[in-house]
Amino acid sequence: MNSSLLNRLLRNWLTLRRPVSRLQAIGLGVACILLCLTGWWLITQGAAESRLVGPLTLPSPAETFSRFSELWNDFALTRNVLVTLRRVSIGFALALMVGIPIGVTAGCFPRVHAFLSPLIMIGRNVPLAAVLPLMIFIFGAGEKNKVMFIFVASVAFVTSDAARAIMDVSARYIDTAYTLGASRWQTISKVLVPLAAPTIFSACRQMFGLAFGYIMLAESIKIADEVGGLGYQIQIFQRRGFREHIYLIILVIPLVALVIDQLLAWIQRQLFPHLYGGDGMLRSLVRVTLIPWESLKSLVFYRTPASLPSVSTEERPK
Amino acid sequence: MSQPPAQVIGMGTVLDHVRTPQEVALPHVVEFRNVTKTYNAGKADEFTAIRDVTFVVEDVVGKGEFICVLGPSGCGKSTILRSIAGLEPQHPATSGEVLVLGQPVVGPGSDRGMVFQDYTSFDHLTVLENVTFGLECLHMPRKQRDELGREWIHKMGLNVGTDAHKYPHELSGGMRQRVAIARTLILKPRIILMDEPFGALDPLTRLNMQDLLVKLWKEVQATVFFITHSIEEAVFLGDRVYLMSNSPGTILEELKIEPATCSANEMQRQPKFLEAVYYIRDKITKLESNK
Repeated sequence: MNSSLLNRLLRNWLTLRRPVSRLQAIGLGVACILLCLTGWWLITQGAAESRLVGPLTLPSPAETFSRFSELWNDFALTRNVLVTLRRVSIGFALALMVGIPIGVTAGCFPRVHAFLSPLIMIGRNVPLAAVLPLMIFIFGAGEKNKVMFIFVASVAFVTSDAARAIMDVSARYIDTAYTLGASRWQTISKVLVPLAAPTIFSACRQMFGLAFGYIMLAESIKIADEVGGLGYQIQIFQRRGFREHIYLIILVIPLVALVIDQLLAWIQRQLFPHLYGGDGMLRSLVRVTLIPWESLKSLVFYRTPASLPSVSTEERPK
Repeated sequence: MSQPPAQVIGMGTVLDHVRTPQEVALPHVVEFRNVTKTYNAGKADEFTAIRDVTFVVEDVVGKGEFICVLGPSGCGKSTILRSIAGLEPQHPATSGEVLVLGQPVVGPGSDRGMVFQDYTSFDHLTVLENVTFGLECLHMPRKQRDELGREWIHKMGLNVGTDAHKYPHELSGGMRQRVAIARTLILKPRIILMDEPFGALDPLTRLNMQDLLVKLWKEVQATVFFITHSIEEAVFLGDRVYLMSNSPGTILEELKIEPATCSANEMQRQPKFLEAVYYIRDKITKLESNK
């Protein structure tokens, strides 16, 4: 009896790629967090001298979390988070606005890709820590150099991801579009870009996570009187020896990243219902906003061709 | 070298030679004049897909002809089809002329609709949006094209209410090919090019699709070029069958086939049908073994 139960359990847990229910997945995730916290608590329990890990290296969970209100109130946690987010968002948005059109063009036209590939190569491999001082020379102290740092850090990746996504769309879709009478521009805008969009979106979603990490680097240098942001806060805490605060911020960052990522995942699901199911709210919204533009084009360009029946002829099902 | 005379084999008549454009009085829908396509000419991996292909499809009054192309694998059937469509890299031909309605083919266009073997439905568009894609490219107003689209969805035997707003991945293979055929036929092309459209379907669905295709083809009156590996399919659907040689492909024989009188399933049991099928099968088997 017992052995069959054990067998079943083993089969359930050790079958390759067996799907997990959502509830169980969350439960397992929580178990992992609890395990880490317990480990943290175990190695930092007791009086300061008798701990496995000294309080100067790692404060105990209780000591750390007791500083939260101080971090929240005295060190304006929300404002710092927002400042950091704003910088990443603006820099990344710029990278998208520049990178995606260029990437799409490069993906559509191999000659453009060949021309740009050295730049993309350099951009992807540039040592970011070395770029940072340059950004300060070029864009001065203050907000601009941080925003531009994020832009420089991500634009090459966005460009090459967009180009790759377009190139990966199977050629048979282009052939199909052409034989259905689509022009080159229509093939790009109605077929290639929409088919590549989910891949581009996924890549950018990951990139945003990385950009959120880069900003800490840029924020660790504060010259003028701009508001610090999380990265600068960490620097201050380090100088003052506030370990608890640093650990708290390190815990806060993944939380913020998680919230943003979930938001992006929601947008992704609503934009691409053909991949993720659901009602595709944002997709419908995009299409509805395009209707006036489309109607305008119909008015300007549409002539009933002789070869096409108008709707009221013999074409109706009888 | 003397040509054998025309001979009747079951439903088919093997012409004494493949007709050339000069011999045909009616206007030409498609003509190939000594078309050769060589890839990577002059390099080590030079490959000639078709060599010196000459044939003509006439514009039969009031109805288009249904042309089936058969041949051993890799003989350049698709090259012929894609040359007519004007798709790269098969287009342009290395030498010779490809003419459609007397005009040289310069590139792809909706007058030559194409249905591929792979499912090429646009994954991000619903069935209705897929079917009306070509009309959208013509900037036909949304209401008008949606109405036409629904008619065609209905004609293809799909359910307008439940299927129109599905995405391609929610459809079976047969349904996807129905969508692919609908979005081509809705544009009323003069020529329909079909590259093994039913190759990936199960046998029963395949027979149903053949019947549906015959019905629709009579309605749209287009010339159809149909590539297939199934000899039964070719003899059932075709008015004419072109039999191709091994690579580099050229057209060996032209067969005229009696029109089918009943459904695909019944037709395929008749002796005269089978006689024609066996004749072609023997030919192709011999070609395959001579590779």
